[in-house]
Amino acid sequence: MKKAMWCLALVTVAVVGFAATSMAAYPDKPIQLIVPYSAGGSTDVLARAIGQVAPRFFPQPVVVVNKAGGGGIPGRVDVVKARPDGYTLLFGWGSGEDLVVPHQRSLPYDIFKDFETVCRISVHSIVLAAPTNAPYKTLPELVKWAKANEPVTATVSTKGGSVDITLLLFAKAAGFKLTTVPGSGGADAITKLVGGHVPFGGQHPSEVLPHFKAERLKGLAVAFDKRDPSVPDIPTFKEFGYDVVTAGSVKGVAVPKGTPKEITAYLEKQFKAIADDAEFQKIMKDLGQPVLYQNAAEYTTWFKAAYDQYGQLIKTLGIETK
Amino acid sequence: MFDFAGLLQGFQIALSPVNLLWCLIGSILGTAVGVLPGLGPAATIALLLPVSMKMGSPVTAIILMSGIFYGAMYGGSTTSILLNLPGEAASVVTCIDGHQMARKGRAGAALGVAAIGSFIAGTVGVIGLTMMAPPLAEFALKFGPPEYVALTVLGLLLATYLAGASPLRGLTMAIMGLILGSVGLDPLSGAVRFDFGVPDLQSNIDFVTIAMGLFGVGEILISLEQSEAASILTTKIKNVFPTMADLAKSGWAMIRGSIIGFVVGILPGGGAVLSSLISYAVEKKVSKHPEEFGQGAIEGVAGPEAANNSAASSSFIPLLTLGIPGNASTAMIFAALLIHGITPGPFLLKEHAPVFWGVVASMYIGNVALLVLNLPLVGIWAQLLKVPYAFMAPMIMVLTLVGVYSVNNSVFDIWVMLVMGVFGYLARKLKFDLGPLLLAFVLGPIMERSLRQALLMSHGSFGIFFTRPISGVLLAVAVLFVLGNLVTALRAKREAAAA
Repeated sequence: MKKAMWCLALVTVAVVGFAATSMAAYPDKPIQLIVPYSAGGSTDVLARAIGQVAPRFFPQPVVVVNKAGGGGIPGRVDVVKARPDGYTLLFGWGSGEDLVVPHQRSLPYDIFKDFETVCRISVHSIVLAAPTNAPYKTLPELVKWAKANEPVTATVSTKGGSVDITLLLFAKAAGFKLTTVPGSGGADAITKLVGGHVPFGGQHPSEVLPHFKAERLKGLAVAFDKRDPSVPDIPTFKEFGYDVVTAGSVKGVAVPKGTPKEITAYLEKQFKAIADDAEFQKIMKDLGQPVLYQNAAEYTTWFKAAYDQYGQLIKTLGIETK
Repeated sequence: MFDFAGLLQGFQIALSPVNLLWCLIGSILGTAVGVLPGLGPAATIALLLPVSMKMGSPVTAIILMSGIFYGAMYGGSTTSILLNLPGEAASVVTCIDGHQMARKGRAGAALGVAAIGSFIAGTVGVIGLTMMAPPLAEFALKFGPPEYVALTVLGLLLATYLAGASPLRGLTMAIMGLILGSVGLDPLSGAVRFDFGVPDLQSNIDFVTIAMGLFGVGEILISLEQSEAASILTTKIKNVFPTMADLAKSGWAMIRGSIIGFVVGILPGGGAVLSSLISYAVEKKVSKHPEEFGQGAIEGVAGPEAANNSAASSSFIPLLTLGIPGNASTAMIFAALLIHGITPGPFLLKEHAPVFWGVVASMYIGNVALLVLNLPLVGIWAQLLKVPYAFMAPMIMVLTLVGVYSVNNSVFDIWVMLVMGVFGYLARKLKFDLGPLLLAFVLGPIMERSLRQALLMSHGSFGIFFTRPISGVLLAVAVLFVLGNLVTALRAKREAAAA
């Protein structure tokens, strides 16, 4: 078996060595769009919509890679660790993990030092949804029910995400005790909500539209300053007198810090072209997600403002996640 | 409830030349993906997503994608049986008896039974999907976090039980699996666990990495110790196809596996893995010769292989009728439907009946195509074992190295796999079974997440597991299972003492 042992050793060395070699002119190999959430969630579906039109804008395949779980952190760790060569992109830059979580605990990366903003694609508002057979049909009824049945529970996609914060914010404003039950992404949270295992939950409109249509779930309020165009029938929290307005969950693109300027500029240009594309806009309409493009400079400023606003909210309202 | 005209229309759509062609391509591609370790159906479907958009009709795209998904379930058993290398979590159990059969020169019989079992189960699954999709979907919704806890507790018990002779050794390995499964970031809060300051360990370890290390590399290391003559590969291959006696023996196992797989497969998350486990345990329990299990019992291949195929078909139920994808592959099909402007859910059947029935009809056709494709392959695969191991071992090594690297494009994963290979070698030398470790690795994170979610729901009260009917019954079954085995063990001991 000595022969076999030598062959083995050779092959092992060859494969490990090959895997470590590198590349030439950008882009000359597939570009990975890392989605730090599970497949089927709103961020994932948006990334896949981009993946669908991408062949007309990129000479190389744009591959969507799901890296779910861990509160959205492992996917981001992967991007930070990746070589800054423009082949590993973070999709979902500006979600709660970027705007909210850094205020609450230390992360294995620095949100402002380890990432480079490319652009913003969309903004997802947060809608409070409940099963249609629940004893409450409107927001005031829900508040009354919650106060009578304290402490109540609600599903949120991830711990410390923007949905989590928004619901806790609402509970604080309405004055009832709430325990949020986090999942491993939007899809996981919806399954529990549709099954009626938790009395209500926070979701993005695109995730719950099919269930609104099937009349399994009902939207009670939206945490925007005005009504969300994708769910125009659902009133805002403000209309009921609760000051629950958040930036929602923002879907942008980032690359690891140190990525060459010309590569980020190239990506920014291509994503702008995608945002303006008629086919992409049609898909987004079907998905129930608004196209709200911002370039790198605009989005960097907006990102900082939203980040500060969440920080302020957390401090003044004393909301904490453990 | 059963819409015969709809199904006929579905066949009309599925039998159109273009759709038939893509159905065949999907099945063949799926088989290939199932055979190759590393590349899974979900990744393949994702890669084909942009291509499928150019196909014009969404039915064609979904027919192709579902073909890949259930085709992979046929192919998955091949490497388990031939090389003791599970291609996916659902075919871990197949290794136990399938590879033993191969060692005894009965690889052909094992592969044949796996293919026939897959066909029967796949067809049973599609018939179930045709007849009673909506009410079953309602049943799946009843499974919340407490039910998943009960189900995974049962699954872990079964995983330990199927370890064979020593439950203590099985338990030890299951605990190892749980620990390995908790390496990385905590599923709910994102806290870092067991990373020892190594950033690469902050991402959770992938199933493929562990499985290929423990089984694939471990197997190679073990075989290096053996002389050429003792190796399985020089054993004379007796009959390439299963005999009538084999089929008679495994017939009921296939039917039981099909039913178990169908019911468990409806549940989102881990349905296929759990169903193969439950099927194996049931076969061992009802068998008149349970001592043969682990030594190459054909029912131990037929049952679980049927179960995972039936589960693949029934996992389409929550996807198509509720809009809830239960695994990575159906989540990909979910995204494809959305991008094609079709919303999966209760309205799919009303608004896009041709899509629903076209896909269902293509599954009947695909299953027949897969049987026709796979039976002749059995002979070819079995011949593969005649290749001298001096050539086979490096080939398997390349396959596992490339396979592991392809999952996350990470060189670190290759090292993890090699370390796991040494661990797998040592464990086998010390007569510890690897099955429980791998299954606990898959079930552990589901159990942890569900347990914590359930306790959040109940504000810390454990009562939630016993007051809800489904989880209560499942836990009662788990307790009875433990007690039953204890009694059997005690009785055997007393009889041994008396004799």
